[in-house]
Amino acid sequence: MLCSRRLTFALAALWPWVAFEITAARAAQDSAASFVDNVAKELAAVIDSNDPPEVKHQRFLAIIENSVDVDGIARFCLGRFWRQASPQQQREYLALFRQLLLNAIIGRLQEYKGVKHTIGRTIHQTDNTLVQTVIVRPGQEPAHVDWVVADVDGKPKIEDLLVEGTSLRITQRSDYSSFLLHNNSNVQALIDKLRQMLANQQQQQAQKSG
Amino acid sequence: MLLSRRLLWLAGCLLVILVGCAPRPPATDKEALQDYLETNDPLEPTNRKLYAVNEGFQDVVLRPLAVGYRHAVPEKVRDSVHNALANLTSPVMLGNEILQAKPRKAGNRLMRFIINSTLGVGGLFDVATSLGYPEETTDFGLTLATWGVGEGPFLFLPVIGPSDFRDGIGLGINAAMDPFTWLGQGSTVVYLELARYGMTAVDLYERNMDSLDSLKKSALDPYATLRSVYRQHRRSQVEDAKQDDPPTIPIWFPQPPQKTTQ
Repeated sequence: MLCSRRLTFALAALWPWVAFEITAARAAQDSAASFVDNVAKELAAVIDSNDPPEVKHQRFLAIIENSVDVDGIARFCLGRFWRQASPQQQREYLALFRQLLLNAIIGRLQEYKGVKHTIGRTIHQTDNTLVQTVIVRPGQEPAHVDWVVADVDGKPKIEDLLVEGTSLRITQRSDYSSFLLHNNSNVQALIDKLRQMLANQQQQQAQKSG
Repeated sequence: MLLSRRLLWLAGCLLVILVGCAPRPPATDKEALQDYLETNDPLEPTNRKLYAVNEGFQDVVLRPLAVGYRHAVPEKVRDSVHNALANLTSPVMLGNEILQAKPRKAGNRLMRFIINSTLGVGGLFDVATSLGYPEETTDFGLTLATWGVGEGPFLFLPVIGPSDFRDGIGLGINAAMDPFTWLGQGSTVVYLELARYGMTAVDLYERNMDSLDSLKKSALDPYATLRSVYRQHRRSQVEDAKQDDPPTIPIWFPQPPQKTTQ
């Protein structure tokens, strides 16, 4: 009897905290879902607009810079090799990664004309929130895309996309990690390779527009 | 007899040449060791050789066939060919859904097979999807996974591509389960079977050619990237197969609320 009274008392004392935790978790889920919804809508608006390519590029850039945790993703992709890199190498790597990632995203977005999305369930995880969506493109089968949203410096940011269960940042990390293992764990070799990739891309771009 | 013995000997020699193991990092290098265990690809040197062989096969045989197929045959016809090939795999999938103890899914599969084989003119048109029986795929590798069998080390199989020990075994059993392989013998049956496998390979490659090209173009190590994509995709399929078990309730009985992802 005494025990159950103590339990009731403990529960009553803890209740505000439990309630706060539940409300906070729900609020985080709702805000993550509306954040993803907004980003997807903003991107779709630019994709379907009739702006010239350079204007579209600038508008995409502004949305991505504002909503994607590019530096966080870059550090994740380098994995354990991040700590082995010198500060100078870290800076170089971050700059190259940013440019390559932006090119890859913006290059891909053009293929999404007429895209529609529906927001599904939101799952709260330890470090981030998963927002499930279904992306439908005209003439294509619907794709399940999960957006991983985390709080970075008080602002929600996209950390990863899971396309049909495949994480883009884990795939990228596997690629870099395997490259480094076959190049004596030399981060400079990776940086040189990335620089070469970027130069090739820019050359192709120049050929296309020229 | 003599020929098959020679073939065995040749296969044995090839295996000896090919099999090589990736060196395991020392226990002192904890992070490298963890990477090695997570990748779980102890046969990496062999797998990379098979990957190179496969790349050659794709470039010389599959790509020209797939490119020609894409140019010569309109998309609608290609879709019909894909539907007919998919319809032929229905009995194996039905068997697997029964083995996975998924009665509703097995029922849906049977309905799909009957509808598409009749209304869909021998499977050429996927009528069943519009009638509420959408296409889902499964195989014996997934059946083994739902029984609790782990994926095992990574394998790269010639022609077939990325796989692992569990899925490799699954592939063999899947092929043995296919009633179309039980059909009598004779050259006509053999030719039909070969035509089916050949067409399946070309259809599969044509549908994935663009994604594969873009993966190879953007990856520093396409083999490692393909390995990671295969592993992740397979794990998510296994997770779906384990969780997705729609209830079997008669249509006249009150239905439970449907789980939706929307």
